[in-house]
Amino acid sequence: MKEPLFDYGGDFDSSFDQSQLSKEGLVGLLAAYSNYIRKLDGHWYLSAMDKCGNDVAYDCDIDVWNKLMKFELKVASDMMNICGDGVASVAKYFQVSPWFWTFKPRLKLKGEDRLEVTFDKCPTLLALEKEGLGREAQICQIMEPELFETIAHHFNPKMKVAALTLPPRKNIDDVCCQWEFKIESER
Amino acid sequence: MKLLYDYSGDFDPSFDHGRLSKEGLVGLLHTYSDYIRRLDGHWYLSVMNRCGNDAAFACDTEVWERLVLYELKIASELLNIRGDDAVAVAKVFQVSPWFWMYKCDLDLKSRDHLIITYRDCPTLLALEREGAGRERQICVDLEMKIFMKMAHFYNPKMKVTALKLPPRKSADDVCCRWEFKIEENK
Repeated sequence: MKEPLFDYGGDFDSSFDQSQLSKEGLVGLLAAYSNYIRKLDGHWYLSAMDKCGNDVAYDCDIDVWNKLMKFELKVASDMMNICGDGVASVAKYFQVSPWFWTFKPRLKLKGEDRLEVTFDKCPTLLALEKEGLGREAQICQIMEPELFETIAHHFNPKMKVAALTLPPRKNIDDVCCQWEFKIESER
Repeated sequence: MKLLYDYSGDFDPSFDHGRLSKEGLVGLLHTYSDYIRRLDGHWYLSVMNRCGNDAAFACDTEVWERLVLYELKIASELLNIRGDDAVAVAKVFQVSPWFWMYKCDLDLKSRDHLIITYRDCPTLLALEREGAGRERQICVDLEMKIFMKMAHFYNPKMKVTALKLPPRKSADDVCCRWEFKIEENK
């Protein structure tokens, strides 16, 4: 963390609220809370794994995200007016999601019906690689495709999701993962 | 949910959150707070359903003993909330994402004495509705640990006392009330 976003070093202000921050400050605080969400999820997973084993923690993770994803998609649709049944809606969702903020995926719209999403950085994968238990096989190869399918089908039940590149990585410079969201034209 | 930004047009590869108005950003911050509360609650219930309440409560305690430190780091480093008195604690409550979800009154009696009253608490409402009596653990044991961590982050001599705690007799009662105080050296 670098420069303060807001200097609340003076007296207590009983009427303080977040609108006293500048726009830049508010964006910075949102980014910090996006990180907060990722940390909270990660600590819960590790704590549940430590006490109840990985199978239970993984089942809980799926359970939690099946519920949370619906809330996140509702936020995108209702608060940011991201609607429509094209892959562009998925691209927009990735831009506004608090969860994906920390990941900063590269979004490449290839025509109206095809989107490529590339994760160059992923703090979750880095932590899993450091841990060395191979849990990325579950999280990235099984859970993530299911969640991405939920996102795709929220906008269009005909949208398909394919993993183009997945962990484990051979090299730390490789991309973390790459995905394709596609709507096949009806023949 | 209120519309904060109209992103119904074309995909904009250069979109960032700076496009939102200040009001929109504040609204989104509040939504993130709700997100944090929901994420935490879903994890608790999910672990409880599979491994029982003791395991879930142990996880919850472990998680929040760590996360509160991150929250305090945000307050100190991003918002420059420092000092060794109850004023710093009052400010942390104001900027915490949890605080926005609750209706709280902060009564700063002096630099060394703060009373915080929770008038509305969605967590307590959910626990009361559930009826399993879990508020005794969450509101009494866990909350005390978290508040002590907050107090001692700023001043190891600061004392935390619960003035009023659930269970409530009536839905009109306050949810809980706490005192943060630094006693003068005698």
